Amino acid sequence: MHVVPQLLVSTILLGGIYALIAVGLTLIFGVMRVVNFAHGEFLMLGMYLAFWAFALLRLDPYVTLVLSLPLIFGFGWLSYRMVMRPVIHASHNVQVFTTVGLSIALQNVALVLWSADSQFVRTSYYTVVVRLGSAVLNLAQLIAFAVAVLCTAALFAFLRWSYTGKVMRATAQDRAAASLMGIDTGRVFALTWAVGVTCVGVAGVLLAPIYPVYPTVGLQFVLIAYVAVVLGGLGDMAGALIASLIVAAVEVIGSYVIGTAWKEVLYLLLFIGILVVRPAGLFGQRGAEAIGT
Amino acid sequence: MKGTWPAVVFFALAALGPVVVRDPFLLDGLVLILLWGATAAAWNVAGGYAGQISLGHAAFFGLGAYSAALLGTRWEVSPWIGLLVGAILATAFGILLGFLSNRLRGPYFVLATIAFSQVLLIVASRWRGFTAGSEGIPVPFRPGFWTLGITDKRVWVAIVLVLAVFLYLVELYLERSRRGYQLAAVREDEDAALSLGVPALRLKVAAIAASAALTAVAGALWAQYVGFVDPFYVFSIDLSLRFALAAILGGIGTPLGPFLGAALILALETYLRARFGGIGAGLVGIYLIIYGTVLVVMMRFAPQGLVPLIGERLRRRPVAGPAA
Repeated sequence: MHVVPQLLVSTILLGGIYALIAVGLTLIFGVMRVVNFAHGEFLMLGMYLAFWAFALLRLDPYVTLVLSLPLIFGFGWLSYRMVMRPVIHASHNVQVFTTVGLSIALQNVALVLWSADSQFVRTSYYTVVVRLGSAVLNLAQLIAFAVAVLCTAALFAFLRWSYTGKVMRATAQDRAAASLMGIDTGRVFALTWAVGVTCVGVAGVLLAPIYPVYPTVGLQFVLIAYVAVVLGGLGDMAGALIASLIVAAVEVIGSYVIGTAWKEVLYLLLFIGILVVRPAGLFGQRGAEAIGT
Repeated sequence: MKGTWPAVVFFALAALGPVVVRDPFLLDGLVLILLWGATAAAWNVAGGYAGQISLGHAAFFGLGAYSAALLGTRWEVSPWIGLLVGAILATAFGILLGFLSNRLRGPYFVLATIAFSQVLLIVASRWRGFTAGSEGIPVPFRPGFWTLGITDKRVWVAIVLVLAVFLYLVELYLERSRRGYQLAAVREDEDAALSLGVPALRLKVAAIAASAALTAVAGALWAQYVGFVDPFYVFSIDLSLRFALAAILGGIGTPLGPFLGAALILALETYLRARFGGIGAGLVGIYLIIYGTVLVVMMRFAPQGLVPLIGERLRRRPVAGPAA
């Protein structure tokens, strides 16, 4: 039974990072009703940012993290203004293909600029591990988890208590009513998009010291985020957190029991299963998926 | 029939191609335009006419390609039988997806289709004992029509032309028949259609299943034409996007649009390949950047696609003679 603590620790660490990716996705959906199919590409850009800062400027990824926050946020804001704003009131299909187009373009800009090769951020503490009882964990993973939890908590606090956060929640609940109350929903959407992008960009920087970077790296993580977000109920922030842990548990335990080769099948089947049985998610309102809003 | 003359011209030109042109390069382009046009048209049956946007149609394409390739290499079965098996498998999965579409709308359905194609990709690339895994399957060349071992590209043009025309007719049927009107009603307002007694679920399931089966047929033919099946290509999201993009570019829910879109995409691809030839990965990237940008720009300015856009232009101009 000595593996149980290790599995548990691995699950929690992985779940924390998945949560930060999923939270951004579910925030954007909750407020804007847009599924961001380019979410994974913002993660990829975050990872490349950390990689280049490390390769060219010898900046530690955690220093990059702090320095690049305004950059990532600004890029998110810009991508909203240029790409999303014109279609924010268009149909679902138009929005789906707009974000898909953005995803293809970003992915291939990375491919052309930086080639398809996997790049690594080899920090000096790359191999440092921390022992916790009988469990062993990687230092970079531990830091990523801690920062991810911190960011997620900050986002929750922001949405719960700040005035802007309340405005965002009001817009999520009823955008017509919010707009009648004098809320500038256009600004709220821009802010939401930028905050969502920042969450996933930060996750990218945090993941850079742990995983290799390549132009399509976003896909594997964003698929997991989709699973977590749907499992938790699209637009449900707390649901996304718990679901991230569940998905991480499926992945960690699945890898241990049936091997890493088939673990993706496990969570994808879990995903299809949820969509069939309870598409509103574990905690979502029944029927939300059928309206498609 | 009214309004079909551009299609008649298009397919007549395609049929004339092999008679006039001998250049294998141009004939290859023609085969690919018709084949990719057919896949986009098949996507359009579900995505355009039934309004069920799928980003996992590569799953059906791959099912067709793998059925033909596996049956051919393992049991020396004719690819025509493989094609049929692929179509039947795709129909079965299409029906499942169709029922799912009744519960999932909008982005939820899109996500489900992506997950579905990813599952098939993983199965195809990891189940080494049966599918040869990530190495893919070289399709053996056995000369003859029954085994689809054909080197003459003119014959290939004829084969894919039959498929393309058949798909065009299917689309025309959906545009002009009573069933087609009913399907459009379901797409626009399912509850209203239901209240008028339209069998919404049956129509949607039938449209998605037909779309899946026809995509599989194209996949099986493609595998024989190209001679190699790579799981990371035939089940990829990129391929699903290619089907959707051709249909959207040409005009979603128009019969000729997917063919026009496929022709434009292939022309762009070929031009860039000639222009930046030899760069390899960089080349792929450049045309995909253009893909993505075009998609974003189209969605903003002309989400209905090129065919309706051109149609509008033509109609605004005073036309001499019978109205087109």
